[in-house]
Amino acid sequence: MKNGLFILLLATSLFANEAVLPSELSAWKSLSYVGTAKNAQELTDATLTLNSASLVGLLPTPKIQYVARPTNEGGTVSYGGIFRITIKEKGLYRVVLANASWIEMVKDGKSAQSVAHAQGAKNSGIRKMVDYNLDEGTYTLQLSAGADTTSAVLVTKLP
Amino acid sequence: MIKNIFTIGICLLAAQPALQAQSSQDTPEQKAQIELGRRLFYDADLSINGTMSCATCHEQRKAFADGNQAHPGALDDPGKRNVPGLANIGAFKNLTWAHNRLSGLAEQSLMPMRGTEPVEMGMNGHEAEIGKRLGQNECYQKLFLRAFPNKKGSIDINTVSRALESFQKTFVSNQSLYDQMTEKGKPLPTQKAQRGKKLFFGAAKCNTCHRAPLFSDDDFHQVQPKNPKNEDRMRDNGLSDVTGNPKDKNLFRTPSLRNAALTAPYWHDGSAKTLADAIRKHDVNVHQTLNHQEIDELIAFIDALSDTTFVNNPKYAKPAKECPY
Ligand code: HEC
Ligand code: HEC
Repeated sequence: MKNGLFILLLATSLFANEAVLPSELSAWKSLSYVGTAKNAQELTDATLTLNSASLVGLLPTPKIQYVARPTNEGGTVSYGGIFRITIKEKGLYRVVLANASWIEMVKDGKSAQSVAHAQGAKNSGIRKMVDYNLDEGTYTLQLSAGADTTSAVLVTKLP
Repeated sequence: MIKNIFTIGICLLAAQPALQAQSSQDTPEQKAQIELGRRLFYDADLSINGTMSCATCHEQRKAFADGNQAHPGALDDPGKRNVPGLANIGAFKNLTWAHNRLSGLAEQSLMPMRGTEPVEMGMNGHEAEIGKRLGQNECYQKLFLRAFPNKKGSIDINTVSRALESFQKTFVSNQSLYDQMTEKGKPLPTQKAQRGKKLFFGAAKCNTCHRAPLFSDDDFHQVQPKNPKNEDRMRDNGLSDVTGNPKDKNLFRTPSLRNAALTAPYWHDGSAKTLADAIRKHDVNVHQTLNHQEIDELIAFIDALSDTTFVNNPKYAKPAKECPY
């Protein structure tokens, strides 16, 4: 219930003013709720779908066991979470985020190197976007060192 | 007798070339402070909302700069100045882009933690939080006790800043290609870099301010164009903002050029995207107009000041999560 209210508030604040988004980000506007894992065992309940945006809750950092130690782990008073996403074909992907958490895409214990960083357009609800060259396979998306208890996240393939 | 003292004096001088770490002479307390300072440097609990550590802005792989024009603070306040690298920072008397009244690295570290212009880590008025957060951690209790036995291991912003100082004093970068070749008495490997070196120390007079071995004279100069185009950015008068003396307006401390190839963008406001932009940005009176080729040669020389042992030195990297004690 409390979560539902949060999501409603977040959704209204994100999209209070319409922003024109480029076509590759069109999925950003329809959000569905996805659970957040605090360790590898819980990842089955925290699976993101490619090209669809999700509202997620974030957990206090001391509760989280990351699958690989994040470069920016966040202090005891910060928030984060981990998610699973399956990448079906090798290519350039973008992680879009509503808050400023540190992002890592981990496969086989290794973080993919980001290839580009950007901020979102004004009123888009997008705080940051990070691009990665990803291989086929299952990745763990790690969010760390965030200031908020909720965020929205989208992983999308770039043309 | 006198002669002996004299010889000892000379030996001491010779045994301490510039830019040398003195780790063998460190007391156990100093060693403990370095170990503690390293952990603190990577700990985001030094910021109000746990989102930002010193290393968020000072990344080792970028010689402790960060690649942004200016880095926003923990509460998203826009950054004011470009993040400088920290190579050989213990050898500087004047710290930051334009300050001549800081007593040292300990006092400097209070600026990001509780500074308000701009707000970076956001701890102003919340200093007691630091002791509270770190004090809950058993490992920190042990580390502070080892590092500050005379203060009974007190965990507060002052002991934190002293440990950060001890750690940063170990940031020595003296293994660049330039250093290696100079030591062997050999020329730099490429013609281009050799010509760049000649220009740097010769006709282009870069060395008058970017003086070896620090590649900074640790002094203040006005080298920016008299009428900067980006007036609308945050006002920054350089040294006069600290001293209140109008003569100090637009004076900035000469940045070291060691590892400069890794620390783009450049200039106190991050307004120069590349080394070429940064070199061209100096007021033309400072150096005679340099042509394209000469700028390329100078850049080749600056490249030879990059020190991969510094950016890969495991002693400066994020420490293991496990407590060493
Ligand atoms: C938000 C980004 C940010 C964070 C976090 C940050 N710094 Fe900095 N640091 C800067 C900037 C920007 C400057 C230049 C400030 C100026 O010139 O006014 C700087 C300057 C410095 C300098 C002086 C360098 C020189 O060339 O004189 C030192 C030393 C330093 N920081 C250490 C630290 C330590 C220790 C911490 C953690 C307590 C820290 N910084 C956290 C951005 C940051
Ligand atoms: C009169 C002193 C002086 C001379 C001579 C000088 N510089 Fe500088 N240089 C500075 C100062 C001061 C800055 C910082 C300016 C600012 O940010 O406002 C600077 C900045 C730079 C930067 C940017 C570094 C960074 O980290 O942002 C580079 C690169 C540079 N100088 C290279 C050169 C080269 C190459 C020459 C010779 C052609 C040269 N400089 C001559 C004083 C000097």
